[in-house]
Amino acid sequence: MNATSHTVPRSERAGRPADTPRAPARPRRRADLRTWAVFALLTAPMLIGLGVFKYIAIGWSLLLSLSDAQGTIALGDWVGLDNYRQLFGDAVFRTSLVQILLFTLFIVPVTFAASLGLALLVHRIRRGRAVLRTAFLVPAAVSYVAAALVWKMSLFSGMPAGIANMIGGWFGMEFVPWLQTDTPPLYLIALVTLRLWLQVGFYMVLFLAGLQAIPKEVYEAAALDGATGLRLLRRITLPMLRNTSVAVLMLLFIAAFQAFDEFYNLFGSGLSGTGTAPVKTPMMYLYDTAMSAQNYGLGSAGAFVLTALIVGATLIQGRITGLGKSEE
Amino acid sequence: MSAQRAQLSRRGFLGGSLLFVAGAAIGCSTNPTGGSSSGAKTTLNVWSHAYGEAGTQQALNRYAAAFTKANPDIAVKVTWVPGDYTAKLNASLLTDAAPDVFEHGDFTQGLARRGQVAALDEQYGSTKADFTQSNLDRVTVDGKLYGVKMIDDVMMLYYRKSVLAKAGIAPPQTFDALVAAAKALTTKKSKGLFVGNDGIGDTHILQVFSNGGQLVADGKVGFATPQAVEAVTALKRLHDDKSLLLGFTTDWWDPAAFVQGVAPMQWCGLWAMPAIEKALGDDFGILPWPAFKAGGTPVMRVGGWTSCVNAKGKNVDAAKKFVQWLWIEQTEHQKDWSESYGFHVPPRKSAAASADKLTKGAARETVVLAAKYGAQNPNTWDSASGTPFAAAAAKIVAGQGDPARLLADAAGKAQSAVDKQLT
Repeated sequence: MNATSHTVPRSERAGRPADTPRAPARPRRRADLRTWAVFALLTAPMLIGLGVFKYIAIGWSLLLSLSDAQGTIALGDWVGLDNYRQLFGDAVFRTSLVQILLFTLFIVPVTFAASLGLALLVHRIRRGRAVLRTAFLVPAAVSYVAAALVWKMSLFSGMPAGIANMIGGWFGMEFVPWLQTDTPPLYLIALVTLRLWLQVGFYMVLFLAGLQAIPKEVYEAAALDGATGLRLLRRITLPMLRNTSVAVLMLLFIAAFQAFDEFYNLFGSGLSGTGTAPVKTPMMYLYDTAMSAQNYGLGSAGAFVLTALIVGATLIQGRITGLGKSEE
Repeated sequence: MSAQRAQLSRRGFLGGSLLFVAGAAIGCSTNPTGGSSSGAKTTLNVWSHAYGEAGTQQALNRYAAAFTKANPDIAVKVTWVPGDYTAKLNASLLTDAAPDVFEHGDFTQGLARRGQVAALDEQYGSTKADFTQSNLDRVTVDGKLYGVKMIDDVMMLYYRKSVLAKAGIAPPQTFDALVAAAKALTTKKSKGLFVGNDGIGDTHILQVFSNGGQLVADGKVGFATPQAVEAVTALKRLHDDKSLLLGFTTDWWDPAAFVQGVAPMQWCGLWAMPAIEKALGDDFGILPWPAFKAGGTPVMRVGGWTSCVNAKGKNVDAAKKFVQWLWIEQTEHQKDWSESYGFHVPPRKSAAASADKLTKGAARETVVLAAKYGAQNPNTWDSASGTPFAAAAAKIVAGQGDPARLLADAAGKAQSAVDKQLT
């Protein structure tokens, strides 16, 4: 909003640096060429890198998904859509898609609400804001793997000495294997708390930045009109945070669909294969298929299905929330 | 603090960038691992998974140095791979940086059929007769030998003699007795049996064998037969009794739970015996996984690692030479590898017979029992068959779904994976 209305004219000007009234036609064209050359020079490394390391690889993977590639990534043994047929014929993969959808539908709103709430709280306090902000952000610097190991071995270990079991013990609970208990699914507690702990701080910072960009005058004007509390939040803060919210939502969706690290590390044994994991995300299925069983054709097909799912979800979300549109 | 900071001039920036790039180029062109490339023409890249026992990495480096001493034109660089070894190996085999020699924990026919590993018949020569038959069978594909078994890893049930005696329980000889013992040994503070953090470990495979079945026989997957269904379903009793230790810090392949007295019975391997002996003295005994019922058979699992030569590598001949030298000829090194760190059984009969530490006490007992009850995975069995089976077993013990149906579905998937191995 504020930012966009400033940047639009500025970028127009920046696009034509030699556009002065007195400049004759020829030098201007040369200047245009120069601008283009600079543009090409500066963006080329990025574009070439993207092309070589992303788009060629993606194209190759698409071709792989149409061929029988076992233990090799050479093309040639075309099998049409067989891999996709096998994939959707596999109940494990179908279940993994359902499970990741449910996980996403749960974790995204919860993370969103938690980070927004935290941002509002931290934004309001006067003293110690920097300390709190940093304290909440620090977990974002911890890797999923390291956190998963702490969760698995210390917090939610199945031993009486595990912290969750110790706390349960104070209330007379028997010690339980948190990650292995299916009925009720106690492992969900570990999964959800882990993801929240790692993510909330980061998105909180994004929201804080958004909050700080809201001009004070708007609030002052609203206060003069007698608006307070919840009304300020609903009518001013949330609408003004719209762009931030949309971006956060999109990032959350993608992160949830790609969930792998904590699932793999919480349920894996360190040996190949995660067959006994109580929940298996599509990424885990793909890891088992491609990295353990070396079936790269089937793995690529799965990767494309997952990509389609993410792109689809992002487009739908963009349509609903108006991603990338400025609202005025 | 930033008031004094000078703006970086364009020239300065360019100079800095060039210096950085030059430095990086030099850094990359000198091999940071160095190796022992003192005039050697070829450098072999040898991959090993990270063995848990102290001294193993140094031992392997020592063998490599000895090989270079005997063959001055071939240097050997040993890469020690922690974590999910198989996945890292599979990924690496697709690239130019693939190892020339690697060990594999699950040698399968597919590796040979896909042309990933080289045949080693010439390297075996007349020594072939000195290898145990099961270890030759394991690496034989279409009549050719595609790898050299380095070690046999025997897996069995450990139990604390004192704990069982105190509870008045005899070492379990039947599955019923095992279930009863595990239940009786479970207290408020500890569990009776540890088979793996997921509560499955290898038990589903053991149950198939112990009820007279096979994982794969004559190309047909055998874990969905009525006998197998009955035996795998019986695992649910251990879970219903809550007598299994779950969610321990380390998994079943590490003896920590047993040594620390958290579980008085644990499924583990011969490799852990030195550590167990050190911690518990002679207060432990070993057992095969008991027969499921009359007519079944007790089971010990025999796994282990196989040394393979990357057929698509750049130094196939040198790699073959290394494998031949270390894992076929050098019985002294093989013995050292098998008994100086964790315990393993050397696949060469002569080496096994003269390995002193394996010829006495519980280790000897294990070797004798393994010869009688040892079961190896068939070489058509890989993770594409193992993963669905383990998933089905996990559902069965949790009481989700009909066991026969779950196992039949998993067997269907495993069958197509086995068929793929055979073509």
